[in-house]
Amino acid sequence: MSSKNKSIQEKTTELTKLVEWFDSSDFTLEAALDKFKQAEKLASEIEQDLSSLKNEIQIVKQKFDSEN
Amino acid sequence: MEKSQIHPIFSVSDFIAVVNQTFEYAYPTVEIEGEVASFKVNQGKFVFFDIKDQGGSIGCFMTVWQMRVPIEDGMKIIVSATPKLTQWGKFSLTVKSLRPSGEGALKKSFELLKSKLEIEGLFAPERKRQLPRIPQHIAIVSSTQAAGYADFIKILNDRWGGIKIDVAHVQVQGTDAPDQMIRAINYFNQQESLPEVIVIIRGGGSADDLSAFNDEPLVRVIASSRIPTLVGVGHETDESLADLVADVRAATPSNAAQILVPDRTEMIRAIHIQVRSLLPRMLQIINQQKQSINLSLSNVLEIIERFIDEQMHRISSFRNVLTQLNPNTVLARGYALIRGVSKVGAIIEIETNKVIMGAEVKNVIKK
Repeated sequence: MSSKNKSIQEKTTELTKLVEWFDSSDFTLEAALDKFKQAEKLASEIEQDLSSLKNEIQIVKQKFDSEN
Repeated sequence: MEKSQIHPIFSVSDFIAVVNQTFEYAYPTVEIEGEVASFKVNQGKFVFFDIKDQGGSIGCFMTVWQMRVPIEDGMKIIVSATPKLTQWGKFSLTVKSLRPSGEGALKKSFELLKSKLEIEGLFAPERKRQLPRIPQHIAIVSSTQAAGYADFIKILNDRWGGIKIDVAHVQVQGTDAPDQMIRAINYFNQQESLPEVIVIIRGGGSADDLSAFNDEPLVRVIASSRIPTLVGVGHETDESLADLVADVRAATPSNAAQILVPDRTEMIRAIHIQVRSLLPRMLQIINQQKQSINLSLSNVLEIIERFIDEQMHRISSFRNVLTQLNPNTVLARGYALIRGVSKVGAIIEIETNKVIMGAEVKNVIKK
């Protein structure tokens, strides 16, 4: 697992928690704007991370045309 | 001068050896197409059958391990064999490999193997393993020159990133293809750091091209892979035994990429929608709170109004009582008010509603 991908997962989990907070009993109007700003920031970070991820393709050196 | 010619004299076994050498030189390997007849397996090891057409018939011999696709009498096949004269002078073909020839034979052989493996439970749903939700390390078994491979990589790159992809370049059609794919699958299964999925892909082709994916040993290796497998071979309508035995079956190589990873564009859109939906949610909560404040306010007002009404009502009943108690009201009803002392001869004052009179007390009797 690459560290970048892991952090995308962490960020996604964090975002889900933030969104759930809005429906939870902890919700207060005073904190809502702050939480909303955090969610917006996380969303754009995730977008950036996801867009910049590249796959790493490697052709196996071993030949498979005969028993080695 | 007389021409002398030397005719060598062979022993029988030498002659058989020479003939076999000649065969070997002339036909190191020969491919012959014909129909199977008198097919039988001896001791579960040795396979005997004849290959024939309208004009002739030749006996064939091979071992069961070499027979990678099932055959039966009447099936049209192509054998790859070396001709041989046995020590009893019988001519036969030692078959190295065989494959069904023509659509009918391919289909027949496919059905035979399919029902055999089905009985063994190789296609059972309970054998199927789930693929990781988002794999970080995958292995691909395909030809890097194949169109299907390019499609898969393109869609995979579009949809997701950050994946380590090991590619085993193998032939995906022809007689060598199954063995190459088997070696590649075994290679990945022996790695220290195992890939999370093995993806086996090949684009569309003729039934003959795709027949490599109906090879029994290959199907068994896919079934026994420690690493979960995803197979996407041919077009949507194609069905191969490799498809059926895989943990997850994709309709095409592109579909395999879609199954393997989520679409980041889709994910980014979903995340933004999720965040944007928080704003109306906040407004809704603000409105709810506003409404609840208004409601409590109007409740309070109502309580105050009710209190005032009650007080007003009380005051008005007090007023009634007071009015009733007013002496003038009593006088108005015809009563009179008498002031003075109750003593014979005393002058007292009598007040009625209309007049005030003076009067003398005539007698006083105790009640």
